Amino acid sequence: MNAAPALLGYAALVGVAVPRLMTRSVWPHRAPGLGAAVWLALSLSFTIAVALAASQLAAPTEHLHLGLLGLLHACGLGTTAPRPDPTTVDLLALTMPLAVVTAFVAASLFHLARTGLIRARHRDRLDKVGARCDRLRATVLPHSTPAAYCLPGFRSRIVVSDAAVRLLTEEQLSAVLEHERAHVAGRHHLLLAATHGFATVFPWLPLARRAREQMAVLLEMIADDRALRRHDREVLATAMYEMAAGRAPKGAFAAGGSTALLRMKRILGPRRTPHPAFRGSVASAVLAVPLLPLLVACPPGL
Amino acid sequence: MRRLGELEAEIMDRFWTWGRPATVREVVDDINQHRDLAYTTVTTVTSILFQKGHLTRVRHGRVWHYEAAASREAYAAALMEDGLGASTDRPAALAQFVENLDDDELAALREALRNVGRRAAQ
Repeated sequence: MNAAPALLGYAALVGVAVPRLMTRSVWPHRAPGLGAAVWLALSLSFTIAVALAASQLAAPTEHLHLGLLGLLHACGLGTTAPRPDPTTVDLLALTMPLAVVTAFVAASLFHLARTGLIRARHRDRLDKVGARCDRLRATVLPHSTPAAYCLPGFRSRIVVSDAAVRLLTEEQLSAVLEHERAHVAGRHHLLLAATHGFATVFPWLPLARRAREQMAVLLEMIADDRALRRHDREVLATAMYEMAAGRAPKGAFAAGGSTALLRMKRILGPRRTPHPAFRGSVASAVLAVPLLPLLVACPPGL
Repeated sequence: MRRLGELEAEIMDRFWTWGRPATVREVVDDINQHRDLAYTTVTTVTSILFQKGHLTRVRHGRVWHYEAAASREAYAAALMEDGLGASTDRPAALAQFVENLDDDELAALREALRNVGRRAAQ
């Protein structure tokens, strides 16, 4: 049986319908770590489904029994008896899915390398202009705009402008820096690189677009939660307001809607985490979803 | 031995503070007031800074006179723009703590904060 139609159907479901469902649900913002994991799992699952479908389209008569094992077998890594000489069709059936997966991985690595280079250049200049402050464990940059950001990755830096140091109280500043440190410690730039890479390979896909948008928001929420472990919610919220208020208003050409209000309401509002049973089932779904395309390609009953 | 980056920063700091062209000898003499550093080391690092475009230089007779390519403030401003994602579509930084907001958004934040204050007071 040719599994291509089933696989493409599954891909459409994961690529178009599920993302709509995800952005409408409220739970991802209540459990942002889990939400981020689901977006990644969906992206991975979509990639595998498309890869398997490509293989099936290239070799319609080939059975995809045992999915990955079948691929390994085709690679000559299987333990069973050697097959006859591989035909062009066999080769296509193998290279097409590999190309899909490689494109995803390569685009992510490319994005990572590119931003890494930009960061290295930025850090080089930063270390000349900024003053390392051991007490704050941050680099203070002389600038009249209150701002804070981080350079993640190898030889990371937390950067804060001296205007922000003057504007915020000791505790507010500490909460802001804790938020930035959470980005670095959580290696959030790797997750962003993966969603960017995915969006590069499938630019027209709703899943890719929404995963990229949502990942950025969820990572901010994860960092907020980390800061809230040690700091009062009102301290963090006030710091956010003070910093936003202390700078020039957004220009007409600035990037779209802000997530600040969303984050602010979440920080100040009552803490609502999903029920443990719900979290448990979503966590198992995260593990299962990337394997689903294999089941679709090769239902156990057939 | 200190890291190369630190020495680069030390040298740039002097050019920025002086705000005028200076020779490597002047820089070495100034650094040597605090610690000993070989003339050749400073020459090497200064030419690296020139190659990276941080310094410009003019020859007077047999010696090069170096000067900072841009002011400290200009450097900080360029970095901040980069860090805040204002200059490119893919900024160097991950994301800044809070982005620029328009007046309505700011008012909404203020409202959210005030409501919490009121609830706490009751």
